[in-house]
Amino acid sequence: MENKNEIEQVEKSPSGFSIIWREIVRDKLALVSLIFLILITVFVYGVSIILDQDEIVTVDLFSIHEPPGEEFWLGTDYGGRDIFGQLIIGTRNSLSIGILVTLMTGIIGVVFGLVSGYFGGHIDNIMMRILDFFLILPFLMIVIVFVAIVPKYSIWTFSLIMTAFLWMGIARLIRSKALQEKELDYVQASKTLGSSNFKIMFTQVLPNITSLIIVTMTLNLAANIGLESGLSFLGFGFPESTPSLGTLLSYARNPQTLEYRWWIWVPASVLILLLMLSIRNVGEALKRATDARQRRG
Amino acid sequence: MAFLDVENLKVHFPIKGGIFGRTVDHVRAVDGVSLSLEKGTTYGLVGESGSGKTTTGRAIIGLNNITSGKVTFEGKDITNLRRARADFRKDVQMIFQDPYSSLNPKKRVIDIVAEPLRNYENLSKKEERKRVQELMELVGLSPESILKYPHEFSGGQRQRIGIARAIALKPKLIIADEPVSALDVSVQAQVLNFMQDIQKELDLTYLFIGHDLGVIKHMCDKIGIMYKGRYVEEGTASDIFDDPQHIYTKRLVAAIPDIDPKKRDEQRQFRQEVKAEYEQSYNDYFDDEGLAYPLQSISDTHKVALPEKG
Repeated sequence: MENKNEIEQVEKSPSGFSIIWREIVRDKLALVSLIFLILITVFVYGVSIILDQDEIVTVDLFSIHEPPGEEFWLGTDYGGRDIFGQLIIGTRNSLSIGILVTLMTGIIGVVFGLVSGYFGGHIDNIMMRILDFFLILPFLMIVIVFVAIVPKYSIWTFSLIMTAFLWMGIARLIRSKALQEKELDYVQASKTLGSSNFKIMFTQVLPNITSLIIVTMTLNLAANIGLESGLSFLGFGFPESTPSLGTLLSYARNPQTLEYRWWIWVPASVLILLLMLSIRNVGEALKRATDARQRRG
Repeated sequence: MAFLDVENLKVHFPIKGGIFGRTVDHVRAVDGVSLSLEKGTTYGLVGESGSGKTTTGRAIIGLNNITSGKVTFEGKDITNLRRARADFRKDVQMIFQDPYSSLNPKKRVIDIVAEPLRNYENLSKKEERKRVQELMELVGLSPESILKYPHEFSGGQRQRIGIARAIALKPKLIIADEPVSALDVSVQAQVLNFMQDIQKELDLTYLFIGHDLGVIKHMCDKIGIMYKGRYVEEGTASDIFDDPQHIYTKRLVAAIPDIDPKKRDEQRQFRQEVKAEYEQSYNDYFDDEGLAYPLQSISDTHKVALPEKG
């Protein structure tokens, strides 16, 4: 009896997660990246519970521009604020924004794309014109205006603004896939079986495009972190009172800091580079896992 | 009143063209088809690919929009499905041609077969599981395999899952759209015999769409032959196979292979004769556009598309 069970076990084709896991294990770079990502996330979120953001961003005139030392592991900035603390809080903020924006754009994009592609025809036409409208809006200019008019700038408001301009890519992608998927017989079959359109969309079609969604969202995460840093660097992201990787980076706009006080901006730059590279590596491995022809594992 | 009545059914697809995507013309996929089915019988719809037989079936169940015509099921008008109701959906089910794409690859068998049950019947998880297992047994699959995914089954088994799903609600009419053409011959016989068995068991009516005349002969009581969206001949199985009147039907019937090797030459000669006759008299049987004429009754059951006399 036990023997029989074993045979059945072997015959079962591998589940989605085991395929992904095999692919990541086979790709050493992706494995290292994944471990690095998990470690940094746990560390950053863990430590930031102990750290007090208000205390870190309080100006301390007695310790301006301290180089790295025992009291300040990574020195201080022009306001005497601890860079190490800012780096932890900043990474946490940047990650939170990246994740929030990715999730929100993902949800909006998937629902929009799915509805548009599934129904097709006039509904698709109208929805795509709405999408085109969002696509031609000048992103940077509107963000600058928002920063000027929104009085209290928080992770949430910033994420919402970014989401408003970043959901179109994923919506288009999902739409094209939904257009393909809805022609398949299993969708027709569901219709004859009496399932409603929304039920078919979200319980029948959606599971068949999850792999695409996961891959796109992972790759988007890296892009969104980069975008946040870029905006903050330009001065249109967070104020200095809410540190992020981008605000730390923007200290480098000062030539003095750039040349003589590397401890302020180098750690943040390296961290951004590493984060984005690792997320990308994991994303590429996921992408390969979804396509049997590209798999290595 | 017949069980299912289709009157002058037309399904036209617009051809868009020009700068503004205006409708330039129509593809007349189904152009004036009438048929009626009696309860408990099997009606065969035959034709070459592109003749509109699948579209007819799909229009009846509501997957294609009907341009004009009328469909009545048990005396109720179901032409416009948005107005016709849920109980009709329950009573008419469909078996799809391709067993590979008609089952959602991400769903387990229990979810696939239970989908209609979840839509129409409020069953507890336990009852539902039991029903699905019964259905699996009915179609000759192991009740233990309900937690497997479709790709773990062979083509024939998958088609049986499709059938189990179609009969889950105990429908009265099943539209079988070439249910065996994607299967190899040994499995075809299995599935066909099984379909006949459950027909008796559940008192089902079939609208059987196919292009394999051998299969149609085996399954159907009444047969309609379609060509370019129109009927060329309609009649009982013996009308069609023993006494074909239309040249197109004659040629189709002549194309049925005979396995007796002694008759091979005879068969070939016969086929050649029919081919010559077909080419010669093509203009007599089809109008200027190459379409069939309206049907004329030549006996109680037998109708042929012949030009008006005189």
